[in-house]
Amino acid sequence: MAHPQIATFARLAKGGDAPTRTIAGQATKLSRTMHDIRYDAVHDEFLVTNPFAGAILVFRGGADGEEAPIRIIQGPSTMLESPDRLDVDAVHNEIFVPEGDRILVYPREGNGDVAPIRMIRGPDTQLRSAATLSVDPVHDLLIVGLNKTDRTGRAPNGALLVFHRTDNGNVKPRGVIRGPKSGIVRITQLAINPQRKLIVATQPGPIEDMEPEGAFIGVWSMDDNGDVAPRWKIPTGPTSTLKKPRGAVLDPKNKELIVADMRLNAILTYYFPEIF
Amino acid sequence: MSRGFRVREWAGVISLLSLAVAVAMGVLFTEESSRSELTAASRAALRSPTGYAQLVSYESLSAMGPVMRPAMGGEMCQWMPASTGAFLTASLLQAEATGSNPGQSSGQDRVSIDVNRAPLRTIRDPNPAYSAIAVEPESNMLVVTDENLFQILEYDRLDNTPANARMTEPKRVIGGNLTKAEMMCGVYIDPKTLETYVINNDTQDWMAVFSKDARGNVAPDRYLATPHGTFGIAVDERQQEIFLTVQHSNAVVVYRKLAEGEEAPLRRLFGNDTELEDPHGIAVDTKNNLLFVSNHGNVRYRNTGGEGDLRETAAQNPRRMRGFIRGTGKFEPPSITVYGRDAEGNTAPVRIIEGPQTRLNWPMHLAVDEERGELYVANDMDHSILVFRTTDEGDAAPTRVIKGPKTGIKNPTSIALDLKNGELWVANMGNHSATAFPLTASGDVEPLRTIRGGPANEASLMIGNPGGVGYDTKREEILVPN
Repeated sequence: MAHPQIATFARLAKGGDAPTRTIAGQATKLSRTMHDIRYDAVHDEFLVTNPFAGAILVFRGGADGEEAPIRIIQGPSTMLESPDRLDVDAVHNEIFVPEGDRILVYPREGNGDVAPIRMIRGPDTQLRSAATLSVDPVHDLLIVGLNKTDRTGRAPNGALLVFHRTDNGNVKPRGVIRGPKSGIVRITQLAINPQRKLIVATQPGPIEDMEPEGAFIGVWSMDDNGDVAPRWKIPTGPTSTLKKPRGAVLDPKNKELIVADMRLNAILTYYFPEIF
Repeated sequence: MSRGFRVREWAGVISLLSLAVAVAMGVLFTEESSRSELTAASRAALRSPTGYAQLVSYESLSAMGPVMRPAMGGEMCQWMPASTGAFLTASLLQAEATGSNPGQSSGQDRVSIDVNRAPLRTIRDPNPAYSAIAVEPESNMLVVTDENLFQILEYDRLDNTPANARMTEPKRVIGGNLTKAEMMCGVYIDPKTLETYVINNDTQDWMAVFSKDARGNVAPDRYLATPHGTFGIAVDERQQEIFLTVQHSNAVVVYRKLAEGEEAPLRRLFGNDTELEDPHGIAVDTKNNLLFVSNHGNVRYRNTGGEGDLRETAAQNPRRMRGFIRGTGKFEPPSITVYGRDAEGNTAPVRIIEGPQTRLNWPMHLAVDEERGELYVANDMDHSILVFRTTDEGDAAPTRVIKGPKTGIKNPTSIALDLKNGELWVANMGNHSATAFPLTASGDVEPLRTIRGGPANEASLMIGNPGGVGYDTKREEILVPN
C-alpha cells in the first residue's frame, strides 16, 4: 500500500464513513505491511510491528495523528528480523512474536534493546514459517498459525499448532491441526475466544491468487487435533461477500466477528453468536 | 399498565430467554453433538422467517440511554459481556482449565457448518485511491493507478472535474484478476508506444505492461517477474533501462526496458553501504548521470559472509534478496540518496539529502526536471510537494514548497512532470484526486485543473491491503492497519 497508516473506525461505521482517527507520519515509526494489530484492554495500549526496522511498537490506546509510540522493542538483543504479527498477554504481561522457525516472547513493558525471555525453537516444535499467533491466558495455551513457505505450490500447506503458553526451547506442540480436511493452506491473523476455548483463523488461500477459491474463516476448538475440519466456517462468496479474508478480531460484547478482507480493501462485521 | 404486571411480564420474558439460552448452550457445548443439532442451533441463532414476531436483536440497558431507561420500570440484572474484567477473572481460575488436554478431542469425522451469512456492516471506500501517476503530453494521456479498487485509469490530461460533479469518467479502465495488477504503486507511460507499465508493491510480484488499447479484465501484453515489494519506477529511454526500488530488500534493480518473463536484472544496487533504507521513489537524471532514491528510514543490515549472506540468498532466490541479520533493525531519518546512474552492488551514495530542514515526511515518488536542475518530491505526510536542486546535499531546505488548503494536495504519493506544457501532476491519495500545477508553482496556490475519481466531500479512507484488524473495547473502535 502506498500510504501506511492505522485508521480507527467507530464500531457502527459503514460504507465510506470517515475514520475517527488516523495514526501516520514519520514520528509514528510505522511502515506499511502492518499485518497485525492488538489492543491491550487492560493497559489501554495497542501494538503493531514494523518489519522493515525489526521493531515492535506500542502506542497508547488513544494515540492520534503523528504520535510517537510510547515503547519500542528493537536492537541486537531482541533477535528480531522481520516481525510481522504478534499478540499481547495482558494478564501475564508478555508479548509473543512469531518469526519463521521460532516464537519469541518479550516482557510486555520491555522498551529498547530487550532480549526475549523465552524462545520456542527446534526440530520438535514443528515450527516452520510461523506467521501468526494468539495467546490464551485463561487456559495457558499458545496457538500458532503456519504459512505456506513459498509461492511455487510445492511447499507444504500451513497448520495450526497448539503449545503451552509457557513453553520454552525445543518442545513438541500439544496439538497440530493440518491436512486436507482442515482446508488450511496458510493462516494469517488469528483470534481466540478463551471462554469457549475457540480459535478463529483467517485462511485467505494462496497469496498470488487475487480471488482464491476455497478461502474462508474457520473456527476450531483449542482441543482439536489432527486433520479436522473447522467447527464453523464462513466461506467466501456472494452471501458473505468475502473474497480474501486476512484479518479477524472478536467483539464479545456484541457477539460480532470483524474481518479485514484484502481484496475488498474493506472491513466487514458479522453477527456470529454461535461462537460466544 | 401496573408496575406489578410489568414485573411479571419481564420475569416471563427473562424465563423464556433463559430457557432458550440453556437449550442452545446444551446443544452447543455437548462435545459429541451431532451435526444436525449444531446446524439447528446455528440457524436458531439468526432466526428464519416464520410469519410471527421473533427476537431478532436487542440493546443492553446501558446502551438505550436515559430516555428509555425510566420507561422500563423495575430492576433488572445487568448482562455481563466478556469484558476485560471477566477475562481477568477467568484467568485467575486456571486450576480448572489446566487439566485440559488438547489431544483428547480429535474431531476427525467432523463436517463443518457453513455459516454463510451477510455482513451486518461493511466499511469500504467506493471511490478510487490514486497511488501513482504518469503523463504523456504528446497524446494528452494521463494514467493513474487505483490502489483501492485495483484499476488502471486513463484520463485526458485536459480533463477538469467541475466542482459540482461527482467524478470524471475515465477514458479507459484496466482491472481484474487477469491483469497481474493489484497493489499498484508505480506507473510509467512509454512515450513512443504509449504502453502503460505498472508495478505492484504486494501480492503480485510482476511488472505488467499493457498496450494503449488494453481495457477491462485483460492479461498484460507482457510481464516481468520482479522482486517482492517494488514501489518506484523510472525509465532511461536513451539507455532503454528500467529502474525499480524494492522496499522489502532495500534495493534498486535495473532491467532491460523490454525485459519479460523471468529475465534477470542487468544490475542490482544493495548492501549496507548504499544507505537504501526502505526505498520508495526513484528518478533518473540522464543529463547528469544521477540516480535519486527517496527513503523512509527503516533499515536492517546484512552480513558480508556466513549465515544470512545476501549473496547466498540472492543466488538461491534472486527475487527475494533478503538475508538481513537479526537484531539489526534501526530507525534512521527520511532521506534522498543520490548515486551515479550506473551504480551497482554495495555502492555508497555520492550525496544524501537529509535533516530537519528538508521537511521530508514519508517521501514517496520523485521526479527530475533535468533542464531546470530540480528534484520534485511527493511528501506524503506533510501534504506537500517539495522542490530541491538536483545538486542539494545534507540538511538542505527545499527551494519551493507547494502546500496549503488552496492546493487540494492531501497525502500526495506520486508526482509526474509534463515538461512540454510546463505542468506537474500530483496524485493525492487522501482525497481521490489528481491535481495539475504550473511547473514553477510555489506556496498555497490553486491547481490549474483537478481530476476527481469521487465526490469532493467524501473521505478517502486509504485502507490498503488490510492484513489484520484490531478492536478497541474501551472506545468501541475498529483498528485498521495498512
